[in-house]
Amino acid sequence: MRLMRTPKKVDISITNRCNLRCRYCYHFESAGDVEGDLPAAEWFRFFEELNRCAVTEVTLAGGEPFIREDLKEIVHGIVRNRMRFQILSNGTLITDEMASFLASSGRCNYVQVSIDGSMPESHDVMRGKGSFAKALQGLMILRRHRVHVAVRVTIHRKNVNDLESVARLLLEDIGLSSFGTNSAGAMGMCRKNAEMVQLTTEERTLAMETLLTLSKKYNGRIQATAGPLAEARGWLDMEEARLWGKQLAPVRGCLSGCGCYWQDLAVRADGAVTPCTMLSHIELGRINRDDLVEIWQNHADLGSLRGRNRIPLSSFSFCEGCEYLQYCTGNCPGLSYTLVGEVNHPSPDACLRKFLAEGGRLPERSLLC
Amino acid sequence: MKQKNPIANPLIVLREEFDDWAILFDPDTGNAFGLNPTGVFIWKHLDGKHDTDAIVGRLREEADDVPADAAEHARQFIASLEQQGLVGYEVQT
Ligand code: SF4
Ligand code: SF4
Repeated sequence: MRLMRTPKKVDISITNRCNLRCRYCYHFESAGDVEGDLPAAEWFRFFEELNRCAVTEVTLAGGEPFIREDLKEIVHGIVRNRMRFQILSNGTLITDEMASFLASSGRCNYVQVSIDGSMPESHDVMRGKGSFAKALQGLMILRRHRVHVAVRVTIHRKNVNDLESVARLLLEDIGLSSFGTNSAGAMGMCRKNAEMVQLTTEERTLAMETLLTLSKKYNGRIQATAGPLAEARGWLDMEEARLWGKQLAPVRGCLSGCGCYWQDLAVRADGAVTPCTMLSHIELGRINRDDLVEIWQNHADLGSLRGRNRIPLSSFSFCEGCEYLQYCTGNCPGLSYTLVGEVNHPSPDACLRKFLAEGGRLPERSLLC
Repeated sequence: MKQKNPIANPLIVLREEFDDWAILFDPDTGNAFGLNPTGVFIWKHLDGKHDTDAIVGRLREEADDVPADAAEHARQFIASLEQQGLVGYEVQT
């Protein structure tokens, strides 16, 4: 793979504060959970560097970005520096005034709002009482102001049986064109609350089947890059490739599961530059102190991450004798680091052999749309 | 009224990714346009100080095998950039 001269996108944790404490939050109690937000002036200086680097977009995440009192100034800084932006939010702090401001900026790609249930019970159980109503209200305010909204449904033990109603609410009643799903990964707070939050093998099987069925019913309007739906699609492809000796793209049989550090960088709320929000423990430098291009092109840790895709899965005892070896990518290095303490290792959470050995079942291939 | 030399819209981002190829990114629309190395060369000279002939002249100085009809191609290229709002002209009244 060839390296671009500068990153295309930078994911910025603009604040470490949040008005909620979701039971599966990947941010709190992870390496990204750092004290103290940087003042806006620091971000303005950094945005100027991003402009010089021709970075075209930033993602504002947190914590909860809308908790920052100076969010509008920060958005002005992004606009001044010729970039577009998206905001990842829990949706509960969005006001009419803010939505109108975002629309008028002309640069907002979307605001991602988390809606995890079709009713308060299945959402609030993880995110806190009253958060469903507020998130839904935030979503409707954004839509009223014609700000593009991307809804994300995080699947967990308490909403896995509510998915059909969630799809009906979002796609039929509210009329979204699509929504995305993932599942509570074994990071941050989720590790502490794993018992309550993380799907069992049986529930994961159910979630895969339900989501494929719903995705077919709604003509592909349910999307995923991680979680049960993405796994169902990926694992069915692996199984088919194994049965029929097919080739899969991109490179398989090596740790090729993630390529975000070929395109993007991340910055923690304290200004530390990291390869990705899932790899917040790897500090590559500091904004406004270290040169971003130098980090991007020459930092040894980034170089070694980019070399992961040359490490064969056959070199891990974990994968010994696996029938899927030449069809597997080893998946997310961030999850692998959290689970086994190593970035250069396949992620056990995304291991098809382990899932099947624990009694998991793949859905029917005919459910794919 | 006399039209002056073409000027790149300062809002447009020139993003040089690999080798001498690049994209032009319009942050207001989110649209991106691919540029080949010659396009990049021309874009970098759309500074209001060069007219099309001068830009092609510079191109001939820097590159081999510039075709005879390069000036016409450059004019068309700049016109297409103008149509998309990526290039403008200072106007003298
Ligand atoms: S998941 Fe998001 S909304 Fe929930 S506590 Fe974490 S940062 Fe806040
Ligand atoms: S053991 Fe798991 S991670 Fe390793 S190749 Fe097999 S399916 Fe992939």
